[in-house]
Amino acid sequence: MRDLPELFHSPVKARSLAFLFCAGALMAGLTIALPHDASIDELGLGLTACAAALVGAGLLVSAERVAMWQLHVVMVIGTAMVALANEFAGVTALYPLLFTWPILYASYFLERRAAFAHVALAGLAYAIVLVIQDPPSPYVRWLLAIGTPAIAGALIFRLLDRLRAERVESLEREALLEQNEARTRIVLDSAPDAFVAIDREGVIRTWNAAAERLLGWSASEAVGRRLAEIAIPPELRAAHDERRRALLDPAERDATRVLQLELQRRDGSRFPAEARVSRVTLRSGVFAAGFLRDVSDRLRREAEREALLREQAARAEAERVAELVSGMQLLVDAALAHRTRRGILADLVTSVPGVLGADSAAIYLAEEGDRLVLGATSGGTPGGDGKAPLAFGEGFAGRVAAARQPMLAEDPDAMIGVPLLAGGQVTGVLVVCASPPRVFTSDDLSLLRLAADRVALAIDHARLYERELKIAETLQRSLLPEHLPHMPGLEVAARYLPAAAEAEVGGDWYDVLSIPGGAVGLVMGDIAGKGLGAASMVGRMRSALRAYVLEGHSAPLVVSQLNRLIWTEAQEGQMATLLFVVVDPAEGRMGWVNAGHPPPLLVTGNGRPRFLEGGGSVPLGVLPFPEFQETSLNVEPDATVVLYTDGLVERPGENIDLGLRRLAELVHAAPNDPQILCDQLLASLIPDGAPADDVALLALRTIPMSERFDVEFAPEPEALVAMRSLLRRWLRYAKAGEGELAEIITACGEAATNAIEHSGAGRDTTLELSGSLESRTVELTLRDHGAWRTPREGQPGRGIALMRGLMDEVDVTATPQGTTVRLSRTLH
Amino acid sequence: MDLVGLEIEKREDIVIAHVTGELDILGASSTGEAIGEAVPTSARALVVDLGRLEFIDSSGIAMLFSLARRLGGQRQALRVVAGSGEPVQRVLELVEFDRAAPIYETVDDAVGALSRD
Repeated sequence: MRDLPELFHSPVKARSLAFLFCAGALMAGLTIALPHDASIDELGLGLTACAAALVGAGLLVSAERVAMWQLHVVMVIGTAMVALANEFAGVTALYPLLFTWPILYASYFLERRAAFAHVALAGLAYAIVLVIQDPPSPYVRWLLAIGTPAIAGALIFRLLDRLRAERVESLEREALLEQNEARTRIVLDSAPDAFVAIDREGVIRTWNAAAERLLGWSASEAVGRRLAEIAIPPELRAAHDERRRALLDPAERDATRVLQLELQRRDGSRFPAEARVSRVTLRSGVFAAGFLRDVSDRLRREAEREALLREQAARAEAERVAELVSGMQLLVDAALAHRTRRGILADLVTSVPGVLGADSAAIYLAEEGDRLVLGATSGGTPGGDGKAPLAFGEGFAGRVAAARQPMLAEDPDAMIGVPLLAGGQVTGVLVVCASPPRVFTSDDLSLLRLAADRVALAIDHARLYERELKIAETLQRSLLPEHLPHMPGLEVAARYLPAAAEAEVGGDWYDVLSIPGGAVGLVMGDIAGKGLGAASMVGRMRSALRAYVLEGHSAPLVVSQLNRLIWTEAQEGQMATLLFVVVDPAEGRMGWVNAGHPPPLLVTGNGRPRFLEGGGSVPLGVLPFPEFQETSLNVEPDATVVLYTDGLVERPGENIDLGLRRLAELVHAAPNDPQILCDQLLASLIPDGAPADDVALLALRTIPMSERFDVEFAPEPEALVAMRSLLRRWLRYAKAGEGELAEIITACGEAATNAIEHSGAGRDTTLELSGSLESRTVELTLRDHGAWRTPREGQPGRGIALMRGLMDEVDVTATPQGTTVRLSRTLH
Repeated sequence: MDLVGLEIEKREDIVIAHVTGELDILGASSTGEAIGEAVPTSARALVVDLGRLEFIDSSGIAMLFSLARRLGGQRQALRVVAGSGEPVQRVLELVEFDRAAPIYETVDDAVGALSRD
């Protein structure tokens, strides 16, 4: 059982006790003063009353200072006085009732054990009195006098207990409330957010410290004023009132709001705020209470964070796209580095899948009649359904071509198809394919589209370029010898490489021509300039040179006439270099005229190559009448002469002497066979086959003569020149005289002409000519594979007549398989 | 490509055709045509100058015979020039071309002879 708090303070108890003493004294005094039973001891009662009055007075005086134990002592004295008064009043008086007083007092004011003790003391005191007085029925008197007030006291005590308990509860509640309120106050004041409560009229009821800081009004200033007045911007007050009414309407079910609003500080500045408001219903009324928070920082942070995130996302996206774009750019540039469609397409289809993370790619090219043909593929032929050609609208690629729009597809592989558009026409379709889980995005699509746009142009350019190139090459070829003359006893090879970067025909040219009398002319020229102008000039020079040579002019005269041609006919300032080399293998001589051209290179047998300086002059077209001189030298059998244009030896930023030295080294290292020599020179000097400038190269080798020879000719009139040249050389070698030489050649020519005219149409047949020299007797044997035409009267008969007239012996053997003519003559 | 060069010269009513190079089956007929076209009907005579010709074969001879026949039909004279001792002259001798047209050693000789006619 817990201790209950005292309901009464000590002074109250003391004064109550004093009142009882005084009342007892008054009672006793009145008993004496009023008519009373004679048995009453007036003196004793009177003295007791006086004593009681004194105690009462003393208690009253010292009520504030009395200790509890002193009260107990006084109570014991009081009980004793009651017992004395009973003794003095006698049996007849009702003084036992006075025992009621200490019992009730103790029950009322004292705690349980003390109360018991005093009740017991009172009972004992009365019991003693009864024993002394010895009245009839003392037990009844004792029971009535002590039992009655004891029961009353118990009831009182019970009541007081209850009172005390309630008092405790109320105290506790009070304490709790106090504590709570204090805590709330502390919480509210220490809250970082402003807390404001307003009533139905919008008047502020609560205003915490944060609210003071936030809005600049102290609590004392704010409480009692309308919130709208001090914190809501004027134009927003109506809305505020509306909101408040709505929130505080009891019919409104949702009693909580989170509001974004604009508030105004005391200094008039405004800020964005967030309010978390609730409707609070108390006995004192309905309130709107809530926290206000300045969210400008948060909004700024959020905005910053959002901006940061956006920026990061944008940067990541930009980087991804940049990476893709650069990849695409790289591959497109790589593709565009090619000049031909085949190169572009092949490069694209191999590199696009890598950039896009795809498996395969295909490019279709549009043809006449809206059909697509496969241009190039890598890793498969996506979009074509395995068909070729595709009609527009057929297959994925065909659908893209028909729609003229980029398309995405998943069936089940992811595919992108973009049309290649040039000049508004669909020129092709690029399809990229990847197997799941790769999926193409619209970014991939737009990138590929960008790439496709560039590629489409490039492909179109390449197409035009190829056409131009073809024209240029055709033109070029028409200007260069279609094939070099077949010259037995001589080996000749030529190469021509157009500049890689030029669609235009270049000004380099060469020619090989037979010169009447058995010599061979080698021409290497370079006309400044490109294109049709240069090409037509090349054509004119070539024809003119041949004509001048046939007129029997000397090499310097031929070159002079070409200079005249350029000087008078070419455009102002046009000039040309020209190297004209005449090789007379029969005479073993070589002469050359050089008009500003790189010197020819001569190599004999295994000797060291040497550049043929001298015989040089200014280029053609520089002076009206320059002097051209021929330089000549004897050439040993097995000599090789190499002519070239500067494109072969020149490199940007390099001294040409280095290029010449390199050329000489290569020629020295290479075999003398002109075909192999030319191939090796080009492979070493122009390894990629794509020179920066046009390159022309010409090599001629004289094969040594011996007593016997065997050659084959095509049965064509053109072969006669070469045959005569060979015979002239061989007969010179045989030391035939001038007249003998001419006559033998004429005779052999007749035999050959006859064979050519009548050896039938067989193209694959050949004329075989063999010669032998034995002890000054020349024997020539010509075989064909046609039927010998029996000499009839008239012209053909002249041929055989000539042969017989010119040779010692002429022997014709005709068989169905062919005819053999044997000619022989003994030299003087 | 043939190896024949042709230059036409006119001295009053005489046409002189300078044939150079090598005259064989390849260039014979075209050269003959070219020369024939170069001789107008008004011309009195044609001199074919073979003095600088390096080579001639039976095709060239046939062309010359053909020219001689044509000019003879039009009453125009044909003269041929061939250097003495040259291979061409030797061939002309062998085929007895002098039966078709006179052969001179120089152009001037031929023209002079024509003037005297």
